[in-house]
Amino acid sequence: MAKIERSQKLFLDALKEKFQGQDPESVKTTFYNFNGVRQSPRKREFMAAAKGIEMERGISMYDPEHCHLGGLPMGQRQLMTYEVSQTGVFVEGDDLHFVNNAAMQQMWDDIRRTVVVGMDLAHATLQKRLGKEVTPETINEYLHILNHAMPGAAVVQEHMVETHPGLVDDCYCKVFTGDDAMADDIEPQFLINIDKLFTSEQAEVLKEQVGKSMYQAIHIPTIVSRTCDGGTTSRWSAMQIGMSFIAAYRMCAGEAAVADLSFAAKHAGVSQMASILPARRARGPNEPGGIKFGVFSDIIQANRKYPNDPARASLEVVGAGTMLFDQIWLGSYMSGGVGFTQYATAAYTDNILDEYTYYGMDYLKDKYGFDYSNPDPAATIAPTQEIVNDLATEVNLNAMEQYEGYPTMMEDHFGGSQRAGVMAAACGLTCSIGTGNSNAGLNGWYLSMLMHKEGWSRLGFFGYDLQDQCGSANSLSMEPDRGLMGELRGPNYPNYAMNVGHQGEYAAIVGGAHYGRGDAFCFDPLIKICFADPSLTFDFSEPRREFAKGAIREFKPAGERSLIIPAR
Amino acid sequence: MAYKPQYGPGTSHVAENRRRQMNPDIELDKVRNVTDEDIVLILGHRAPGSAYPTAHPPLAEQQEPDCPIRKIVKPTDGAKAGDRVRYVQFVDSMYNGPSQPYQRTYTECYRFRGIDPGTLSGRQIVECRERDLEGYAKWLIETEMFDPALTSVRGATVHGHSLRLAEDGLMFDMLQRCIIGDEGVVTYVKDQIGEPLDRAVSLGKPLDDAWVKAHSTIFHSLVGSSYRDDKEYIEYIQRIHSLRTKYGFMPVEE
Repeated sequence: MAKIERSQKLFLDALKEKFQGQDPESVKTTFYNFNGVRQSPRKREFMAAAKGIEMERGISMYDPEHCHLGGLPMGQRQLMTYEVSQTGVFVEGDDLHFVNNAAMQQMWDDIRRTVVVGMDLAHATLQKRLGKEVTPETINEYLHILNHAMPGAAVVQEHMVETHPGLVDDCYCKVFTGDDAMADDIEPQFLINIDKLFTSEQAEVLKEQVGKSMYQAIHIPTIVSRTCDGGTTSRWSAMQIGMSFIAAYRMCAGEAAVADLSFAAKHAGVSQMASILPARRARGPNEPGGIKFGVFSDIIQANRKYPNDPARASLEVVGAGTMLFDQIWLGSYMSGGVGFTQYATAAYTDNILDEYTYYGMDYLKDKYGFDYSNPDPAATIAPTQEIVNDLATEVNLNAMEQYEGYPTMMEDHFGGSQRAGVMAAACGLTCSIGTGNSNAGLNGWYLSMLMHKEGWSRLGFFGYDLQDQCGSANSLSMEPDRGLMGELRGPNYPNYAMNVGHQGEYAAIVGGAHYGRGDAFCFDPLIKICFADPSLTFDFSEPRREFAKGAIREFKPAGERSLIIPAR
Repeated sequence: MAYKPQYGPGTSHVAENRRRQMNPDIELDKVRNVTDEDIVLILGHRAPGSAYPTAHPPLAEQQEPDCPIRKIVKPTDGAKAGDRVRYVQFVDSMYNGPSQPYQRTYTECYRFRGIDPGTLSGRQIVECRERDLEGYAKWLIETEMFDPALTSVRGATVHGHSLRLAEDGLMFDMLQRCIIGDEGVVTYVKDQIGEPLDRAVSLGKPLDDAWVKAHSTIFHSLVGSSYRDDKEYIEYIQRIHSLRTKYGFMPVEE
């Protein structure tokens, strides 16, 4: 380890804004004089709203000055605002609970309502079994019909009910292919244009991976996947695909070949975003617990937008991942309640993790000559134990010293789990970006945890006793427990399944390994291309900015029901 | 060769303080006197002078199964009497609180019997039979494990370990279980769960900055000793991590 000087202190502006008029380096302050919960405009708004609701429904509701600790409301210390990292937008903590943030809901909606379905099997059935001609013209006609049918419209039968387009306006299907000539013949409205959306190097790799095949990126209506679940997505999609083939290619609705098309759309040709979970966490496909970290890093598109800043790209995965896996998956699906939010927000607010990570980038450059702003597989450092130890030790010590040197920052991350996740993430990202190896990144994470625990004689909550103190043994080496490379791990991986404050960061560590190499994708090129689509409601290249928009109530989500309910 | 505990690595005074707290052969300094009744008041589990509620009849009155382990393990007084299991929970400020969560747990495991500690970032709980607990709590409060300003007994609503200190030097406690008077004496006006006490319990004056710095068991580059400077400690952690990575939990030196 060799400490380096870095003067930026990306977190300082946020600390000065949060703790106005106070010295961020002082260890003393005043408490108990903030007027309790009423210091927060958002809490006051909640109290006023609750009053109205109580009058209307006649049942009591939000009453923090009576119900919190028998009459002692929170707010005996300053209730802080937060800057969503690298956005300059300050929000109240409440605005980052997913219930209060439409962008967060939409991010998950957009993943859950998506499947990628190959067209090759269907085209082979049409051509070889039925002797039908498949041409660019027939494909365009099919896509026209599919975009009529997918939201919930009829294409074959008489006297059918249909869905109101205004309620399902987020539902559509586009296609992509690695065949430039074929892509040229597809109507632009139906095409995800790889050349336009990716850098030329990335596009070349992705098109080579896709080859001459063609895939449909399908997004069923948000309102449908919300009413049902992620397992519905492939079923809804397959039904509409089957009916659209029948209509577009003038097939008999009952002929046996339809079964082949259905099988292809439901099973043989479909890529789910997430695999099913075992009985004790029983969920169908396309639910958060089944998303592999490699897949999640492909869903997030920041490396497409910031190809020369793997740290930024990874930090966007952290933000999106902690929101989905901590706030929604563990916090609500698996646990319930509101406490999980602040485990997650610590990792994507106030530029604290950003500062620690860029310190790691500077350290990589200073000590190893690794220029993170020019990602290249040939430039990555060999992932040896010694190098992982050196990188993680230095980044971790720096992070601890920053918390110590700025007591307001320690107060910002007031919980040990918050600090543990953030410090370990910076260590993991530094190791994975620098080495291009996701398992080296995970190993750096666990050294950070051991070092943190010994230095401050504390870590996170009880759960950290388990996975973080045995993680050394199942990270850099996969041999001891027949484990998996990081890309194939996910929220349901043994030891990872029960602990908040980890999964989003793990996903980013996996992504960082590829962003640091300049790879076009991490695990699945189809998913990388699918979520590059600018027509999606949520912009996956800037998840933190989208969350900030949601927090200040400027994000326009899909799945709204105002067309069919009384005006308020 | 008999196992000889080493109580952890490190060349710094923080490391030495940690070993000192853990080592049961060392008698820690008693820095204040607190009566048994005051301990009972702070704990809040029973009224002073009342009988210990029991979870089962005394062991002597029970038909003990013929169990070799029971013959080997001598019951504590609380277990012998059938006391219920209760708790004491401490919050330790990161600004040189004299003990810290894992440090407490390790110390208690070396020094106490019949305990069930739990360790988190902002608090550390130890559970055991009630009369044993009162004895342990008295030791934990009277000795150099405790400072009235930087250590706090809190059953719930523990928020404060990482916050800046109040201007009077006390660690933040939203329930303000203890207050500091004009003469600088810290008194508990609520028990550990936050119920108001019938009478205040004095725990004396906070120890001065030089004392808490000298007795600290936490590395802190701003108010104490820098972790980075204890190279032996850092290398030891790296070594454990490397061995676990390569060999799992059966480490063998190359």
